[in-house]
Amino acid sequence: MINRIVDHPVLGKLTNQKLVNFTFDGVTYKGFEGDTIASALLANGIRQLRVHEETGAPRAIYCNIGHCFECRVTVNHAQGVRACMTPIEKNMIVESGKLQATPFESAPEEWPRTYAEFEQKNKGKKVGELHV
Amino acid sequence: MYDVVIIGAGPAGLSAAIACRESNLHVMVIDEFSKPGGRLLGQLHQEPNGEWWNGIKETQILLDTAEKLNTEIKCGVSAHHIEKVEHGYAIHTNIGVFDTTNLLIATGAAETAVPIPGWTLPGVMSIGAAQVMTNVHRVRVGKKGIVVGVNVLSAAIARELQIAGIELHSMALPIANTVTKKHADPKHVMDGLVRIAHLAPSAFLRFGSKFAKSEWVRDIAVKFYPKGGVKMWGMPIHIRKAIVQINGTEKVESVTMCDITADGEVIAGSEKTIDVDFVCIAGGLYPLAELASVIGCPFQYVEELGGHIPVHNEQMETPLKGLYVAGNITGIESAKVARAQGTLAGYSIAKNHAKIQQAMRDVKAVRESASIQFHPAIVEGRERIQRSFLEYENAQ
Amino acid sequence: MDQTIICRCEEVSLHDIQHTAATYNCSAREVKLRTRAGMGYCGGRTCRPAVDAVLEAATGEKAGHDIPMKVQPPVRPVSLSVLGGEVK
Repeated sequence: MINRIVDHPVLGKLTNQKLVNFTFDGVTYKGFEGDTIASALLANGIRQLRVHEETGAPRAIYCNIGHCFECRVTVNHAQGVRACMTPIEKNMIVESGKLQATPFESAPEEWPRTYAEFEQKNKGKKVGELHV
Repeated sequence: MYDVVIIGAGPAGLSAAIACRESNLHVMVIDEFSKPGGRLLGQLHQEPNGEWWNGIKETQILLDTAEKLNTEIKCGVSAHHIEKVEHGYAIHTNIGVFDTTNLLIATGAAETAVPIPGWTLPGVMSIGAAQVMTNVHRVRVGKKGIVVGVNVLSAAIARELQIAGIELHSMALPIANTVTKKHADPKHVMDGLVRIAHLAPSAFLRFGSKFAKSEWVRDIAVKFYPKGGVKMWGMPIHIRKAIVQINGTEKVESVTMCDITADGEVIAGSEKTIDVDFVCIAGGLYPLAELASVIGCPFQYVEELGGHIPVHNEQMETPLKGLYVAGNITGIESAKVARAQGTLAGYSIAKNHAKIQQAMRDVKAVRESASIQFHPAIVEGRERIQRSFLEYENAQ
Repeated sequence: MDQTIICRCEEVSLHDIQHTAATYNCSAREVKLRTRAGMGYCGGRTCRPAVDAVLEAATGEKAGHDIPMKVQPPVRPVSLSVLGGEVK
């Protein structure tokens, strides 16, 4: 935990912190008991928590007090969990928010009218890529 | 079935719970965060008398008192809807629906966004976010940063970051656009700056604060504002420089800073790139009143208090029977005022008439002795809200 | 064209809002419906005051005493498993 403020001139020294293991995108990290997912990850130097579902732009905490939902991640397979409000727990599985397929890439007048047209238009594309 | 449910375990909510428990009411306090204390937890500053105001300690004092009175406090509980029902209110939360006769909404404030290009990059956060990371979680938000937005709150938190050993390049204004207008206007910002001059050893600002009421002196101060900024606690505060862009691809790498005129316009060719790995955005606070809005409480827009305020009287009652408000939802002020308002709201809910008058005097006394004033016309704003409560009552 | 993002959730730019407000002479509610500003995950908590400011500049619509972009329950996203809770 490279970013920990262990010694603080007014608030004092952090002592007797219990370590908690959790994973983020498959990698195991250690945080302190009482850490939120966001604080534990930032303590380990991890800023980015997700990408914007539609544009893929990288995102991290913004308000850190539960208002903005920018830090939403998937926790133990439940989506839309705020990393800034959720305390880490032993063996918690945290996954970053991913890019989602945009259903409508083209203008409505270019949309396929039949399934055959749809298949023709999307030949060679994989699941998760932009369609239509 | 509760006598009172209190939403928000900050200084207002906890103080109200204590006052209600003194009269043995059946009370439950809920809060979204995993620890009680609200925004009080992150606060850390030196009072003009030299004593430290430590939010964690202040919270603990409230919690100890609440615990002695067997107060039920549930954390990690978030309210998403409130319904008016026959006997009172039904509070819908992530752990179930709670019925209560009285409801106190003490949800505090949210930070006003200051949108500038690049502000969605990882490493850009609200100034309050940095405060919580630093003082509550004890995590360094970066190696070197810059604060965009100069106001009472950002100056206080910038100082907290500095105390924790986090390097700040400076504080500067956001680039002017339709939204950032006020925050990007050097004259407006100067008005705010002179109000906090007594807190920092800066000869320039102290000098300025003596003439705070004179507009032409202020304009001269803005015009001749030092190029290198005015230093507060050794950190340059710029009101003639603006951040026009936050740069980076995956995260913050630098910011582009420009000189601006006394009216906030960018001086062409003055761009400078400053390497930073975090940026704190500071647009001040506005009352977080969405739950009051959902139940249909009437509002007044009062700029002096920070935005849309639920109509309420001096005893913290709203026009809706059994609905009370306290703390920053009633106007942006210090945690000490919130605490005093919470106590008052608690006595009002408990109908503890012997103590209400004194609690009302306490709120006023705390307000008058505040070392930081968020707005110079708070008292006038408060009077407007109370007048509109009376108008509302008379209309019924 | 100012591409500064105003609504972070839906990535709506200052230009999007100004252009929509100017083209349709919109109310706050109409701007929200046309651009999706304020309709994302956070429910407008982050961009609400900013959208109000853009509208005031574009259409002269001042924030009145009512909250301009109406607040609707739920004020937080709710999972289906939470709904159907019992009264305690």
